[in-house]
Amino acid sequence: MTTCLLHHPVFLDHLTPPGHPERPDRLRAIADALDRPQFAALLRIAAPHSDMEDILAVHPASYIERIRTAVPQEGFAAIDADTFMSPASFTAAMHAVGAACTAVDEVIAGRATNAFCAVRPPGHHAEPEVAMGFCLFNNAAIAARHAQRRHGLGRVAIVDWDVHHGNGTQAVFWSDPSVLFASTHQMPLYPGTGAPSERGAGNILNVPLAPGTDGAGFREAFTTHILPAVDAFAPELIVISAGFDAHRDDPLGGLLLDAADFAWATGELMRLADRHAKGGIVSLLEGGYDLAGLAESAAAHVAALMEG
Amino acid sequence: MPDTPATPVESLPFEAALKELEKIVDRLEKGEVPLAKSIAIYERGEALKKHCENLLKEAEARVQKIRLGADGKPKGVEPLDD
Repeated sequence: MTTCLLHHPVFLDHLTPPGHPERPDRLRAIADALDRPQFAALLRIAAPHSDMEDILAVHPASYIERIRTAVPQEGFAAIDADTFMSPASFTAAMHAVGAACTAVDEVIAGRATNAFCAVRPPGHHAEPEVAMGFCLFNNAAIAARHAQRRHGLGRVAIVDWDVHHGNGTQAVFWSDPSVLFASTHQMPLYPGTGAPSERGAGNILNVPLAPGTDGAGFREAFTTHILPAVDAFAPELIVISAGFDAHRDDPLGGLLLDAADFAWATGELMRLADRHAKGGIVSLLEGGYDLAGLAESAAAHVAALMEG
Repeated sequence: MPDTPATPVESLPFEAALKELEKIVDRLEKGEVPLAKSIAIYERGEALKKHCENLLKEAEARVQKIRLGADGKPKGVEPLDD
């Protein structure tokens, strides 16, 4: 089996103000970890610029234009208290979407079994018309739509284990039963959504975790709620919103996961992907702000994807 | 930073601590808190909650002392030395 790694140097050019947690060093830390010999077999692909049609399947043209024109000539443009753009941010965001869609293409064409997209900016907080929480375009939602529109897939499951709730992805698929959105996240925490009562058309599954939940608690919640729902949904592709900020050392989260927990969850989803989706998994980097915890967790996740 | 008041939690009287805690819970639930500050604000809320609980426990102990002392007549509030 082959695992793809989607990357692009422009992701390092999306800059945020000094002290901002969502910074280029995050990707440098992951790249260093994936430089080890055990990752030599990764099929490395430079992410192309995205097709505007793919973004339009999730975000209206007026929103894309608003983001494009918000790009500053120099320095930073603040979209909200968290979300900033630098001169290269729009290009980076376009390539992040390109990475997600190319990963879908590679997996569905069978050139790879699964793929990890080491992208910035992240996407799962971006709603169709709202950029927020460091996110501009919703990479995971666009990937799912791309799989449906370009490849004719019926059911796509998006599993989101970022420590923050993926409000944007939930908003996109709120009334669309062809996409399952299943999320574990700390609650209470940003952005405040993600209660179990938020069910959409029955296709939204929110499994909030109390602050201080450790790996055992996470695995129990995942086994009890997330895995059976994904299994019953029988997706033709699984997209993972892979944030690693539920790691115990993360400065923005209060959960106590270790790298091994992310590897475990990856393996469990791979078993379901084997059953329903010919193994197809497309994983997208979301959060993760402790450089060592992020690098170690992402490496454990990718190693699990490669092992099969 | 208006989001993280500088007053040390331990020095806040009960009413002020509870009021700030309610405000934090409300803001977290409404999603008004920026991502980058959410965890710091949550932790402030946790500290406030613990502080309020401690103050309540102390008050409870004081009430019990009055009751225990009211064998004949209430003696008033005894100093808490435990």
